[in-house]
Amino acid sequence: MAEFLVVAAAFVLLTVGAGLVRILHGPAEADRMMAAQLLGSGGIAVLLLLAVAMERPAAVDVALVLALLAAFAAVAFVKGRSPSGAGDPEA
Amino acid sequence: MAAAMTRRAAGRAAAFFGVWLVLSAADPGALIPGALAALAAALASLRLLPPGPRRIRPGALPPLLLRFLWQSVRGGLDVAWRALSPRLPLAPGFVTCPLRLPPGGARNALATEMSLLPGTLAVGQEGDALRLHCLDVAQPVPAQLAEEEARLLAALEEEPGHG
Amino acid sequence: MRLALDLFTILCVSAGGVFFLAATIGMLRFPDTLTRLHALTKADNLGLGLVVLGLLPRMEGVAEALKLVGIWLLALLAAATVAQLVARAALRETAGQPGGPPR
Repeated sequence: MAEFLVVAAAFVLLTVGAGLVRILHGPAEADRMMAAQLLGSGGIAVLLLLAVAMERPAAVDVALVLALLAAFAAVAFVKGRSPSGAGDPEA
Repeated sequence: MAAAMTRRAAGRAAAFFGVWLVLSAADPGALIPGALAALAAALASLRLLPPGPRRIRPGALPPLLLRFLWQSVRGGLDVAWRALSPRLPLAPGFVTCPLRLPPGGARNALATEMSLLPGTLAVGQEGDALRLHCLDVAQPVPAQLAEEEARLLAALEEEPGHG
Repeated sequence: MRLALDLFTILCVSAGGVFFLAATIGMLRFPDTLTRLHALTKADNLGLGLVVLGLLPRMEGVAEALKLVGIWLLALLAAATVAQLVARAALRETAGQPGGPPR
């Protein structure tokens, strides 16, 4: 079973890695941000799969931190792009 | 008023502590720091997000959450099918729907739910209307929104001791 | 029983992989920023949900299983909220460009 989980983790990693082509192509800054977010949720899945496959429960906590950081990164992106810096792009 | 505030703070602290218990896998050594953090988070949240005149009935929360999850499954299936289909079935566009919910937490929850539903994504509010981006403008978006809104409205109740 | 649980894990994790693949293909194939945002918000979270579901029987106890579900719920809620913010930023960025949304 561990082998299957490692293969699944590699598959997810390669898949979301391919999505990173969007960072090169854009065209909008939001497209680049979204590709990075895809890597975030894929990364969570990879960490959870490896935590079980390699019996390293601590990797689950790393996944938790990644989930939090991905959300913060996106909020920081949106705040950085709004003229007032207030966070609401319509303001 | 003060008593009502204390009750709200206690309720929120209990909810935050519940999240802590889940995330720390109820590790006994982490209970005290978790309780302190939950209390601090509850006080901060009351200041940053003051309670409104209406709230969700506690008993109505589990069915709403289940519905959120079910909708996200349907939304994922729908968008995956469109992405994998060779002819890329998309007819994207914007739809603006009037809202009955007042501005605030319930309206934001509706916008979030609409963003998980198949084919719709909330992109902003214009006065008392919600602007949605749709993968297929032929789908009955206003009817879907009205149904989800009615469910949320039915789950709300007046905050006791308020207004 | 053991075999059934292994099969459950394999099925759920594989299905999760399919949704991650769909999210990536959507990101690459969909024609504009907002349709790509649909793919990101919905497909990859379902993928993560299926991976979590498949791993649940391999957890040592109920507490660990709940933690896994908690991580997924956090990711789901964050994605649905952040998607609305990114959508508005994208609207602002592409407004007025050819093929961009009306403003």
